[in-house]
Amino acid sequence: MTNITRRTLMKAAAATGLAGALGSRMAFAADEPLGIALVIPSPIGDVGWGHALAAGLEPIKAAYGDKVKVTILENIPEGPDADRIMNKTVADGNKFLIAGSFGYQNGALQIARRDPSVTVLHASGFQVAPNFSPFAAKYFQGTYLLGMAAAALSKTGKLGSVSAFAIPELITSINAFTLGAQTVNPNIEVSVVWVNSWFDPATEQEAAKALIAQNCDVIFSNAQDTPSVISACEEAGVYSFNLNSSMKKYAEKTYLGCVATDWSPFFKASVEDHLAGTFKGANAFLGVADKVVEVTDWNPAIPAETMTKIKELEAKIADGSFSPFTGPLTKADGSEGVAAGVTMADAEIVAMDWHVKGVATPLPK
Amino acid sequence: MSLFASLPHLVRRQRASLAATLIAPPAALAVAIVLNLILYMIMGRDPLAVLHAMVLEPFLSWASFSEVLLKTGPLLLIAQGLAIGFRAKVFNIGAEGQFILGAIFASAIPVWFPQATGGWIWPVMLLLGAIGGALWASITAFWRVRLNANEILVSLMLSLVAAQFLYYLLLGPWKDPAGFNFPQSVMFQYDAMVPTLIAGTRLNVSILIALALSIVAWVFMEKSFMGYKLQVGGLAPRAAGYAGFKESRAIWLSLLIGGFAAGLAGAAEVAGPLGQLQRSISTGYGYAAIIVAYLGALHPIGIIISSVVMAVIYIGGDNAMVSANLPIAAVRVFQGSLLLAYLIAVAFVRYRLEWPAQTSAKGSTP
Repeated sequence: MTNITRRTLMKAAAATGLAGALGSRMAFAADEPLGIALVIPSPIGDVGWGHALAAGLEPIKAAYGDKVKVTILENIPEGPDADRIMNKTVADGNKFLIAGSFGYQNGALQIARRDPSVTVLHASGFQVAPNFSPFAAKYFQGTYLLGMAAAALSKTGKLGSVSAFAIPELITSINAFTLGAQTVNPNIEVSVVWVNSWFDPATEQEAAKALIAQNCDVIFSNAQDTPSVISACEEAGVYSFNLNSSMKKYAEKTYLGCVATDWSPFFKASVEDHLAGTFKGANAFLGVADKVVEVTDWNPAIPAETMTKIKELEAKIADGSFSPFTGPLTKADGSEGVAAGVTMADAEIVAMDWHVKGVATPLPK
Repeated sequence: MSLFASLPHLVRRQRASLAATLIAPPAALAVAIVLNLILYMIMGRDPLAVLHAMVLEPFLSWASFSEVLLKTGPLLLIAQGLAIGFRAKVFNIGAEGQFILGAIFASAIPVWFPQATGGWIWPVMLLLGAIGGALWASITAFWRVRLNANEILVSLMLSLVAAQFLYYLLLGPWKDPAGFNFPQSVMFQYDAMVPTLIAGTRLNVSILIALALSIVAWVFMEKSFMGYKLQVGGLAPRAAGYAGFKESRAIWLSLLIGGFAAGLAGAAEVAGPLGQLQRSISTGYGYAAIIVAYLGALHPIGIIISSVVMAVIYIGGDNAMVSANLPIAAVRVFQGSLLLAYLIAVAFVRYRLEWPAQTSAKGSTP
């Protein structure tokens, strides 16, 4: 055993010497462009989360030209492989890392702690460090509006959602969807299927079909990266909508709308701060007012009076005079969630781990 | 009929030549590299840069070579365990599930005793993991021996059950209470991590354990009577029966060894680079190890080599994505074409092509 180990080790040691000889190749001159690396768990594709993140980098490429060099690493499973790949991108000289999934948190945070000259943006997480910012979208601002539209169009009074993980970001979008729907129909009921994956088109489609079979006639595709749910709904003739980027072309008739995200304002500001040396890690929770969240592709079938109300509220959300999470809110188990007249703070919303009354499916415990 | 008759046939060689056996793997590597270089040129990438990232870079620094060894560890462990069963013709395809159970059993200590300290923790975790893997495999062994249920199907299906069991724990009782509902356990305390072998890298002592067990596997299969019985059972089951070697014992032993090794690997993974029980523990090591076992010709020494080769392919592929801007699909094509070229090369070592003209000529002279 020792023999083999020693031999392998000696080989490796020889190789290290070789690397030293090649070292000059790896040195970076001072005027090197800023290396920006985006790591995402699913394929970029034409739609969805990864696509939205990649699209958010386009304006930076346009603005900075060859002063930046963008590398996109798609399909990287969360776990030890992702840690190594992120380490490698930083070792290759990338100084700006966008870790595009919550499962990258620990590995990305270690990189940030080890090398203060690197700036890390991390999707959907909760850890903060001086050079490490978690970012998330206030999807709930958009899903509230789509809840109103959904309730206006629903004949059965039952809505459904195919959702990825029971994390606060997605729980809040379901809650706001339910609250929005209740403004139109107080007795509306929302069923949820948690598929426990960011990318599993077959399971997502099964889940959508199961919800449709239970008489849900508007389906919310909560954080799916492919049109799996949307196209199943088009086939069954029920309305559906999704997050991040428009999937209208996959459901011409029944596409209700899209809670679109545009990350470019946030990415651009962060890159500017990094270049100026003024980047400061903070929880970036961005919504309509930040021009990160916007509802697009409204379906013309939505009744005009509902649409008028929606537009009114949209304006109020944008100027900050209205939040979907304003009390009185009752939890799904009947206890008090938020007292009358109280509005949940951002810090409470990013940690929300309960469903509002009207969500029929209990949270996985 | 005529079309098939005019095609050449594969005929088994009476004996495979040693030279051909040794030349086959590098020849396959060369063919795969040349084919893929052409592909990269068509894609407009610099083929030499890709080759550098993929084949050379894993060896060019301590940091990346330690990553190769880190990746080798679980592949080596699982493949050694599986190969013993494969030689006895007991096909345990469910190493992935046994790997997951190993990780779960090992995590029980840091999850239930997050404050515990002491040097005993990680060895106990590894042992627990190995026991967990063996227990999971014993379900397959029980039904195979008891009801003659196909072990391929049972072990494979149990892998899916294992994954669901993992998800249940992470979403429910073992979820980190301070983790915002994210499906993951608490971070393990320092003493619950396998000690690092080389400072500054993620390589830990589990690679030494894997190498030590490889030697044990070699001694067991080549020198022990029990190993001999397993091999005879695999090569000539009826002869083994006449000799009084019990098939049921071979099945139990094969599956328990396979489960033990896979469980140990799972424990080393969760207490090594992960440091936390997560869904991403299951990345297909259990399936990749089947390929590793066969690439290594089911021989303990061959498996040591094939597991390193497989690890280099993984790490090199990741490097090519990062440094040479190669899309992941092209990386997978390289990995796939390498395996395919190897299998074709091995086929030609064992078989030769015979053209129909020759066959008919032979057939006419009885």
